[in-house]
Amino acid sequence: MVLHKFGEKLYSGLVGTMTLHLQEMAKTIEAAQGNLFLEELNRKWNDHNKALQMIRDILMYMDRTFIPSNRKTPVHELGLNLWRDNVIHSSKIQTRLLDTLLELIQKERTGEIINRGLMRNIIKMLMDLGSSVYQEDFEKHFLEVSADFYRAESQDFIECCDCGDYLKKAERRLNEEIERVSLYLDSKSETKITNVVEKEMIASHMLRLVHMDNSGLVNMLIDDKYEDLGRMYNLFRRVPNGLPTIRDVMTSHLRETGKQLVTDAEKLKDPVEFVQCLLNEKDKYDKIINLAFSNDKTFQNALNSSFEYFINLNPRSPEFISLFVDEKLRKGLKGVSEEDVETILDKVMMLFRYLQEKDVFEKYYKQHLAKRLLSGKTVSDDAERSLIVKLKTECGYQFTSKLEGMFTDMKTSQDTMQGFYAAYAAELGDSPTLVVQVLTTGSWPTQPSITCNLPAEMSALCEKFRSYYLGTHTGRRLSWQTNMGTADLKAIFGKGQKHELNVSTYQMCVLMLFNSADRLSYKEIEQATEIPSSDLRRCLQSLACVKGKNVLRKEPMSKDIGEEDAFFVNDKFASKFYKVKIGTVVAQKESEPEKQETRQRVEEDRKPQIEAAIVRIMKSRRVLDHNNIIAEVTKQLQSRFLANPGEIKKRIESLIERDFLERDSSDRRLYRYLA
Amino acid sequence: MPRASSKRKSRPLNSAPAAKSSRVDSSSSASRKALSKVRQLVDSFFESYVNKSLGMIDPEGIEALCLDLQVDHTDVRILMLAWKMKAEKQGYFTQEEWRRGLDALKVDTISKLKKSLSNLEKEVSKPENFDDFYMYAFRYCLTEEKQKCVDIESACVLLDLVLGPKYRSQVEYFTKYLKSQKEYKVINKDQWLNFLRFCQEISFPDLENYDSDQAWSLILDNFVEWMKSKAS
Repeated sequence: MVLHKFGEKLYSGLVGTMTLHLQEMAKTIEAAQGNLFLEELNRKWNDHNKALQMIRDILMYMDRTFIPSNRKTPVHELGLNLWRDNVIHSSKIQTRLLDTLLELIQKERTGEIINRGLMRNIIKMLMDLGSSVYQEDFEKHFLEVSADFYRAESQDFIECCDCGDYLKKAERRLNEEIERVSLYLDSKSETKITNVVEKEMIASHMLRLVHMDNSGLVNMLIDDKYEDLGRMYNLFRRVPNGLPTIRDVMTSHLRETGKQLVTDAEKLKDPVEFVQCLLNEKDKYDKIINLAFSNDKTFQNALNSSFEYFINLNPRSPEFISLFVDEKLRKGLKGVSEEDVETILDKVMMLFRYLQEKDVFEKYYKQHLAKRLLSGKTVSDDAERSLIVKLKTECGYQFTSKLEGMFTDMKTSQDTMQGFYAAYAAELGDSPTLVVQVLTTGSWPTQPSITCNLPAEMSALCEKFRSYYLGTHTGRRLSWQTNMGTADLKAIFGKGQKHELNVSTYQMCVLMLFNSADRLSYKEIEQATEIPSSDLRRCLQSLACVKGKNVLRKEPMSKDIGEEDAFFVNDKFASKFYKVKIGTVVAQKESEPEKQETRQRVEEDRKPQIEAAIVRIMKSRRVLDHNNIIAEVTKQLQSRFLANPGEIKKRIESLIERDFLERDSSDRRLYRYLA
Repeated sequence: MPRASSKRKSRPLNSAPAAKSSRVDSSSSASRKALSKVRQLVDSFFESYVNKSLGMIDPEGIEALCLDLQVDHTDVRILMLAWKMKAEKQGYFTQEEWRRGLDALKVDTISKLKKSLSNLEKEVSKPENFDDFYMYAFRYCLTEEKQKCVDIESACVLLDLVLGPKYRSQVEYFTKYLKSQKEYKVINKDQWLNFLRFCQEISFPDLENYDSDQAWSLILDNFVEWMKSKAS
């Protein structure tokens, strides 16, 4: 017919016939009862498609010639459009179709089994009819109804579930919808429906979930509920501001716990315990971030900033961390494998990095190291050196050069002793054995050098050493640090008990006096030894008032030392050990006055550092305004301590007074460098 | 004092150019004669107070001068006179300084000098001169060799003398503060200068526009804190 120029007639005939036919079909479908509606629709659709295919084949010529040149809709498409207009959009079918579909989905959501294959076909039909049909006739409404559904459900759940359960349910629903899409919906709907679920079930209730009593985020953190936390992370990740919410709550909880930890008076009594708690807390959160928060960097950063915040709330943190290290290096790491030693030291370094006042740590570390070295009480030289290397990597050569100097001194002293004994071998046969450590003044913590009266045998020996040393090192000055030495004494008590006593040098001086006197008063001891009174009192207390170590007897038996107290050798002294240790050269938490003194020394040390920084900056900038100097100086000194703006100002003024800087004559806020 | 004079070299000179200009006229012998007559008067004026063995006017001489001027020797106008002379040493006037000062004031007798004092006061309080006078006053108090600071007591007296008339309230409070605090025992040049700026720029006593983050001397930061704590 087309060839005979009757294309138009054919076409319109087609349209008309098909329309009528479809209208008939529609009526049949409308008549279908209840559940059969969809099946009927499906069946008719399949029929239509088959017919459409045949028609297209038959009218292929028209499809290719008449239709394009006359801009008519191609046959197949025409067939679909007519179906759409006459069946799907027929007033009785359109609404019913939508309602049926939504009803079925609702049933499935409440646990009933539905005919998924049928659903798939119907939905596919809508998709075939065009994405706008799918969206307008189904998807749009589907999303709205789903939103209502989930809004209501989430409201119910949140009233009766705890956080963990709720999240489980939310996760389940989410997975359900994803499955639904893959089984019978257009894949493009996935993001849209998951967004609905996320919004209704998660985003709307985010804060309530996180802060839920007894089961919220904080509880999960405290109880290490990795699974629940992981679920929360994965769900919240999907909604805007979800992860920041978790992060913020975690941060404030961590800061609060940390703050309590560092201000807990009980914990502060034992520095080692204190630091161990900090390490435990860090381990705990590292694990949580690893297992539940998939090592998210932003969470790591939140963890770091929280630790930095609360560690520095307690000004004694640097001291305590050094004491912790001291304990480990003195005995804690005994018998521990090299690998584990490294792990512990690395953890300590991590805490060190959080410190703002690194220079305070340095001061204490030096003190404690000195005590360890001098008392020979270090578990492993390798461990000591390993830590120094770590500190050097972190802070630079300057930080550790003095510490390394201390080690060198120890080694050199050993060599010196060998030389001394080699040179004097003959003379020294009978004398007590002397071990001297020669310390270079600049490297070791400063001590006031006080000498006391050594027993005659010792002082003669010391003089020999002095002349030997100065013989090989002219131009040096030696001063004996009697407050830092130790001595081993062999003692025989009244009933013949033999013991070896390990005591401090001061204690030795006191005890040796009793070789030539039975009774000595405090005054007499003080005069004979010339030991400073506070040290002497402490020394006598440790010799006479401590159970199990009371090699001396005191009258009266009180704990404090009075000027008139008398001392005797305790003939009844007993100890189950042959070697008795009475010395007190171990590193301890400082007393209040000692702490003040150290703090003062640190403050004094900071002044030249601040000035050096100011001069360095001004030398290169020549002219700079006040606020910028403060900022730059603070930045330069950051790796050692937090510089106080008031102190910086003071130093600037001092430099002005000494003509290193001047103020600009017109702009008071500018400083100039004076060459 | 060599150090003091080198400092002076770096200062912008804004005083006493007048002296020369008025005398630069035609080099006629008549004017030269007039010049030398004035010089003679000035010199003999000098002689009446000079300490002959020293060759300059000493504290006693200055006291006598004050008596004749009917001005107390602690009066600020004497300090102003010293400033005009650019006198270097407190309590002494050299002949050169005397000549310089009196020439600048265009006076050669005691009565003329007395009359000129009120003009001198006005001149000093002009903004372009006052800063210079204020700093001069501080330097004038550095009596010892290499002295850089003035003790608190003297500083308070000086502040009262020099700034009192202009900034009575600030001076009163500040001197009270200085005497009560223990941290600073002396005032240095920088702090001295800062205080003047403080009086000139900061509204008092509310201290509204004071910002301690700015480059004010620490002593002033502390002063402001003290003021605020007294107010509350």
